[in-house]
Amino acid sequence: MKNLLKSLLFVFVALFAVDRIGGQIMWWVNQHTQDMSGPKLKYLANEVDADIVLLGTSRCNFHYVPSILSDSIGMSVYNGGIDASNCIYAHYFVLNQILLHHTPKIICLELMTSDYAVSANSFETTSFFAPYIGRSEKADSVFREAGNYWYYRLCHLYRYNAKAVSNMGGLLVNKQLESESGYIPLPRPMFVPERLDKVHKSKNIDELKLQYIRKFIMLCKSHHIALAFMVSPAYSEADTDLYGTLKDVAKENEIPFFDYHTQGLFLNHPEYFKDSGHLWDKGARLYTSIFAHDLKHYIVTHSTGN
Amino acid sequence: MLFNSLHFLLFFPVVCVIYFILPSLRVRNLFLLGASYYFYMNWEPVYALLLFTSTTITYLAALGIGYCKERRGKRLYLVGSLVLNLSILFLFKYYNFMAENISDLLARWGMSVQMPEFNLLLPVGISFYIFQALGYSIDVYRGNTLIEKNFFTYALFVSFFPQLVAGPIERSTNLLPQFKQEHSFSYENIMTGIRLMLWGYFLKLVLADRCALYVDPIFNNVPYHNGGSFLLASLFFPFQIYGDFAGYSLTAIGAAKVMGFNLKENFRRPYFATTVTDFWRRWHISLSTWFRDYVYIPMGGNRVSTLRCYFNVMITFIVSGIWHGANWTFIIWGAVHGMLQCVEKLLGWNKEQWKVRGKIIHWGLTFCVVCLAWIFFRANTISDAFLITKGIFTNLAMPYMRVADFLAIALALTIVFMKEIIDEYDLKIRISESPIWIVRHMYIVGMIAFIILFGVLNGDQFIYFQF
Repeated sequence: MKNLLKSLLFVFVALFAVDRIGGQIMWWVNQHTQDMSGPKLKYLANEVDADIVLLGTSRCNFHYVPSILSDSIGMSVYNGGIDASNCIYAHYFVLNQILLHHTPKIICLELMTSDYAVSANSFETTSFFAPYIGRSEKADSVFREAGNYWYYRLCHLYRYNAKAVSNMGGLLVNKQLESESGYIPLPRPMFVPERLDKVHKSKNIDELKLQYIRKFIMLCKSHHIALAFMVSPAYSEADTDLYGTLKDVAKENEIPFFDYHTQGLFLNHPEYFKDSGHLWDKGARLYTSIFAHDLKHYIVTHSTGN
Repeated sequence: MLFNSLHFLLFFPVVCVIYFILPSLRVRNLFLLGASYYFYMNWEPVYALLLFTSTTITYLAALGIGYCKERRGKRLYLVGSLVLNLSILFLFKYYNFMAENISDLLARWGMSVQMPEFNLLLPVGISFYIFQALGYSIDVYRGNTLIEKNFFTYALFVSFFPQLVAGPIERSTNLLPQFKQEHSFSYENIMTGIRLMLWGYFLKLVLADRCALYVDPIFNNVPYHNGGSFLLASLFFPFQIYGDFAGYSLTAIGAAKVMGFNLKENFRRPYFATTVTDFWRRWHISLSTWFRDYVYIPMGGNRVSTLRCYFNVMITFIVSGIWHGANWTFIIWGAVHGMLQCVEKLLGWNKEQWKVRGKIIHWGLTFCVVCLAWIFFRANTISDAFLITKGIFTNLAMPYMRVADFLAIALALTIVFMKEIIDEYDLKIRISESPIWIVRHMYIVGMIAFIILFGVLNGDQFIYFQF
């Protein structure tokens, strides 16, 4: 028994030391990697200075070409979409990080049904900002809501679990080379994707998510930032009520809602899609020019009071 | 309750502590029985009734066999046990498959007959505990094992939680006597058990689940991928299933070891096999020896004519395929393994002792055919399996691959390969068994840290639970 206690004590103490030292090393890796999400989050949190910042998940990251928007609207644009961050908690955290050092004129938020609907694991895609636990009060509050704050708090290495390999890979391969102000072009697909079946039913509302959407709006309002919501094209038919909840919130707060998915934009052009949820570069460029036109029209009509 | 869940990480130490504190063997066994049922009922409490039913049937059948003086009576009890247990298995696992196939067949002949289908959830580990219980019935009938008169001890043998849901399928001759021995607290057993469990977790969380992140999307979306992706997925799947299943077995063996029980070895570096016959001496050993002893040998084994021997091999492996699941893909997988072994017997490869070059060639050949057969095992349908195989040979283009996934799999495979080399050639350089105390303990610390950092920690199910 004495031997076992000695072994257990050693393992716990050594594990604690390895965890803390490993946590520091992984933070350094996270801050120096040239992978996808790590450097982007670091840039958004410390350096972004664009007039228009686009936020959202991969559908934002791969669908909006900043140069096209910039040329059309005459403001600087940065695409802050982060791959696999499809929940409002992530967007809320990112916005808070930006506001620590910069106040954009316009925030354009690409929305998905996962931003308001009940899902099996609502906080699944928040792990990419787990390294910010203890460094950002907003990150802490999101993970407290998620119920896994204390796991991350106790185990520093666990904060890097989701991204450890890609972060380390990012020390060897620079994935930011292809990036144009945050936009990552998707290559042409090998096959034309199949259209997804029409979704008829609206989803059950996750009240906490809705609360975070309102928090997001309030944060923009308190910093006098104009806000726009978008849903970019997808290769599937959608009923209006898929986004009805979000549209109601937008209407309440006088926020423009550009819904190209329900509109069925590009539904007859499968050749623009990489898969049912993403446009490849050709489709993205075409779509951005359409969105730029609509956004410009909105800005012009509302600034002149028409 | 999954081995890779926080629930188990709390459950297991508590069970161990109470087990060693309890005063008598009888109380300890009752406690383990309760803990095992609790473990099982965490999935679907009602299915514990099936476990209990199978236990009761085989327990009573064994008593009946013992009390009968005549061979005919003994046989009657054995057949009763086999029929009832296999009926449970058939109803829950195979009935819908059979009904669907009969309906299809009749439809082809122009008869529209809709057989009723049951919407039953497959009870976790049903094939494992039923086979373990049936093994006991047959052993009692053959006089290979003593009849266990204490129902609770026997129930513990069938439901012992470390190996209940995915093996190793234990024999009564090995495990039952261990429930009659006092297992005192042993530092060596605990440390050995922990090391085995850690390696099991490594195989599951770092290797298998990481491979799954690549393999599953490819096999589940066959029309969208090219031959390059199929090839890579087909190369990763053998390691996914190995890591998943060997990982579970090692965790089970380790957990039992901590409490002082010795379970059978279930995997012995199967991808180092130089023939398919050799592969089956190394892969899922507890199942292959079960089929050898209770199916292949009773049919005559290899002590019959050559043709009959091939027939026996084919039947054994087709049944093995069916055991894995109610799908034609498993049946084809079993048949392919049977055929390959017949070919090896025909060529005399199963008895050949190759030198280095021959070994390397046959190792490569065996690995390739085993990988090809795994395609049928993993594919969702037979047509998917053929599309994948065709794609590999006709449409070899740049695969879909994320650098991060590739790096993670390569890292895990390198570590597994090094460990397997050390074990295969019994090299005396195991860090885990170093004579230096601090090195042994740092191995444990390093493994835990490595799993936390690189493991896929989303609590995925083990593949073999479905069998």
